[in-house]
Amino acid sequence: MSTHHPDEVLLMEYSAGTLSEPMALCMRMHLDRCSHCRGQLDMLNSLGAIMLDHSQQASRVSDDLFDNIVAQIDSEPAPREAETEKPAHDSPLERLLGSDLQELPWKRQLADVSVYDLSDRFPGDERVTLQKLCAGGRAPSHSHHGSEATLVLTGAFADANGVFSKGDFVILDQHHDHQPVALHGEDCITLSVMDAPVKLTGRLTRLLNPFIR
Amino acid sequence: MELIRSSQTAATKSRNVTTAPDSSRAERSKDHWSQLLERVASHQDRAAFHELFEHFGPQIKYYAISNGIAHQAEELVQEVMISIWRRACTYDWRKAAASTWIFTIARNQRIDMLRKIQRGSAEMAIETEDLWQIPGDDEKDPVPSLHRIIAERRIRDSFEHLPQEQLTVLKQVYLEHKSHQAVAEDLDIPLGTVKSRVRLALGKLKVILQDQDL
Repeated sequence: MSTHHPDEVLLMEYSAGTLSEPMALCMRMHLDRCSHCRGQLDMLNSLGAIMLDHSQQASRVSDDLFDNIVAQIDSEPAPREAETEKPAHDSPLERLLGSDLQELPWKRQLADVSVYDLSDRFPGDERVTLQKLCAGGRAPSHSHHGSEATLVLTGAFADANGVFSKGDFVILDQHHDHQPVALHGEDCITLSVMDAPVKLTGRLTRLLNPFIR
Repeated sequence: MELIRSSQTAATKSRNVTTAPDSSRAERSKDHWSQLLERVASHQDRAAFHELFEHFGPQIKYYAISNGIAHQAEELVQEVMISIWRRACTYDWRKAAASTWIFTIARNQRIDMLRKIQRGSAEMAIETEDLWQIPGDDEKDPVPSLHRIIAERRIRDSFEHLPQEQLTVLKQVYLEHKSHQAVAEDLDIPLGTVKSRVRLALGKLKVILQDQDL
């Protein structure tokens, strides 16, 4: 069970279906590991249904719509077995990557930091990356221009705000000046969604250019 | 004979009381729409399906129009109804009310439709349902049926008493596909005000769980 959660405003945007695809992926991956947020989401989904029910202006549908629906149902075979086939990977992220996390072509940015960019799998301008901080490794100090949603996929990291482990969700913004350190024992891999580039506060600015472009 | 019957009844009763008081009480409050869905699932009951269509079809059409896809409104109704027909066998009334389950299907079909328009013929890297799950598709959770039904009733009752300004924000997010940022721009108020209205509303509806529930 996670100890760092998305706030109710984000959960509501998820329930309403207004989040971007990468943000929804972060939320989904957190929800998979957090029964507390799943409980909240159930109620937010109920709220959505109640709002729909209360919309006074429910719109009249065409007279032949039901017949068309039935005709389409009749023209198709019974629900296909294929739809319930078990996919090769359990996690939606690994299904997207078509690979285990460890086998990705990671790009090393610094001794302790590797990155895999998957922004081009999504529409929109957000920068979506997997970031790997090797076990016991340290990332350079940095803060954020916009905001960065981070979901811990493996291992754990710590910074001034606490310890973040598998399944934890945290939004980093200009108020966090953070220098994450991975805990020993396991590489810490995170999924990050950035809506604006990272601003470096340390001395390694030039070195890190590819990382923050 | 009489003896056997009464002892059976007693056995059933005691089983209910000792092992599943929660689900038997909840079973009795199973709503009409859930019963219709179960009839669709168990014997492809078209009358039940038609009744669901009569009730939810116009709501889904309104949902499409308010979300700015008026041109595809009936297409959305059609997609959602077909999806309901196909998936009815996966519906579990203990995990979600029928209306909630249908809301999540409508939401996903709406997202799916917009993604397809956005992408054109390009293949989607990840399925909509990998991003937004339909309740009951994951088997992890124990089933809190009675708790869920009580919570839903509470939301429904207190919903009526929400102040208009909070209701407006919720409506824009749920029915008009607006982020909180977009709501702030639309109403010309600060983002912080939008968020505090949301929090106040969710607090009143007790959607936000109290600490003891954690």
